Amino acid sequence: MRKITYGSRLLFLFLSASFLSIQLAMASQGGGVMEQIESADEPFDSMKIDSAHQLPLKTVQAQELYQGGSFKVLARKDATDRFRCSVCHNNKPVLVQDGALFTHGDIIIHHGLADNALACIDCHDAEDRDSLVDKQGRKIDFDHSYRLCGQCHFRQKRDWLGGAHGKRETYWAGERVVRNCTSCHNPHSPAFKTKMPETYSLPLDE
Amino acid sequence: MTVREKKEGPMKTEDILDTKSTRRDFMKSLSITAAAGSAGLVTGGCVGKGSTEEMGLKWEEYFKKNYRLMTQQEKDDTVTRLERLAKIQHDLDIQVSDQEPREQVLFGYAFNISRCKGYMDCVEACVQENNLDRNSKTQYIRIFELNPGQLDPTSGDGKYHHEVPVEDKFYMGVQCFHCENAPCIKACPTKATWREPDGIVVVDYDWCIGCRYCMAACPYWGRRFNWGQPEVPKEEINLKQHYLGNRLRMKGVMEKCTFCIQRTRQGKLPACADACPTGSRVFGNLLDPNSEIRFVLKNKKVFRFKEELGTDPKFWYFMD
Repeated sequence: MRKITYGSRLLFLFLSASFLSIQLAMASQGGGVMEQIESADEPFDSMKIDSAHQLPLKTVQAQELYQGGSFKVLARKDATDRFRCSVCHNNKPVLVQDGALFTHGDIIIHHGLADNALACIDCHDAEDRDSLVDKQGRKIDFDHSYRLCGQCHFRQKRDWLGGAHGKRETYWAGERVVRNCTSCHNPHSPAFKTKMPETYSLPLDE
Repeated sequence: MTVREKKEGPMKTEDILDTKSTRRDFMKSLSITAAAGSAGLVTGGCVGKGSTEEMGLKWEEYFKKNYRLMTQQEKDDTVTRLERLAKIQHDLDIQVSDQEPREQVLFGYAFNISRCKGYMDCVEACVQENNLDRNSKTQYIRIFELNPGQLDPTSGDGKYHHEVPVEDKFYMGVQCFHCENAPCIKACPTKATWREPDGIVVVDYDWCIGCRYCMAACPYWGRRFNWGQPEVPKEEINLKQHYLGNRLRMKGVMEKCTFCIQRTRQGKLPACADACPTGSRVFGNLLDPNSEIRFVLKNKKVFRFKEELGTDPKFWYFMD
């Protein structure tokens, strides 16, 4: 009698164990996201999504690579109002009344430490005004300003190359087109400004 | 109910009954009857006016299947009907898509809590893109203003309205996380909500009975209910729609973020990610090792909200 009870207990244990394992199996049946990600190492050809059209934006081929190969950045020279700089910076005499315009009186520098802000020629080439220059004296094209910014903001640049910083244009598929550093940040005052939010939310009803 | 009314109608229903036919054929023939003229009788006084074509379309719409059970032909038919109905009823030239999920695509999302400034451009873009009800100010996205050290939106302010960003605060957006193991799907008694193969959790608005079980089941406040007929100004209606996405909803149905299914299945970013001026929102294909989202998961500190619940959301938070 006692033996039977013991046996039935065992049976109960066995049954509950098997029930539990079935449940566990069912839970993992869908394959968790992390498992799916880990097993997916085949690059996806996002060019085959034919609805990802080329954007009507002026872009240039980036001079660096990201994990998926080459990509494009938004061009900056065409988006800059007063480029090309040598139109004015050419050692020709100017009129006094144009002084305010020509001295860039509208540019306020909030870049760098508060008591030790950057000067114009920290980034702009003093000799060739149509170009930027990095701390090693290499000329950098305005369209590739990420190479200049990246010399100090190397952490942000690494994230930008990979896609954790910055912004892709319109499409997740198709050719990778990302914004340049100066598409979002004003290089003379790069921090984002405070402003009123675009909208507001009503209180939660629960 | 409607059927019985019809039997007493002017058409000879017994003729239809005499011939051997399935129930569906029977309904179809009735719909032809409806189109033939006795519109008022069929609708039982729902709408007094309206063309016979409209009545016929509405009748067919009423008896369509759950989207998942439809053949491609049936999907195309209902899409055509919806487009035609929008033209007749509201003079709108909508384009309803039934774009299938793409192969080898699983959508995922990442949100940078150290970059978000609380500008709420995303919320506004979402409202515009998804034809959300302006009357009740429905929003799929909620941005919480939090104190440092908090990682739980419930302790934050979700209805702030002042200049942002405030110093020493950070901002965390919450929306549908498109869980792989979604509790809302299990709660639905009519199977009106499910997870698509590309990971998007969708709702078939025509099969939703509005019981709101899914809303109660969701631990992330991801779902919204239409207490009234959603109102969108005609000139603001987004005409590019998807059957499972931003097509115009009706009163008494659930809706939710669909990762902008009408955009993302065409290769576009969701409206929120596209609108974000700070680049806090990263979207992409989780199955592509070269995608931005995979870079974030591999290289940044990431966490998921209420991960311990086992819902397996496809929405990560990360920080610089």
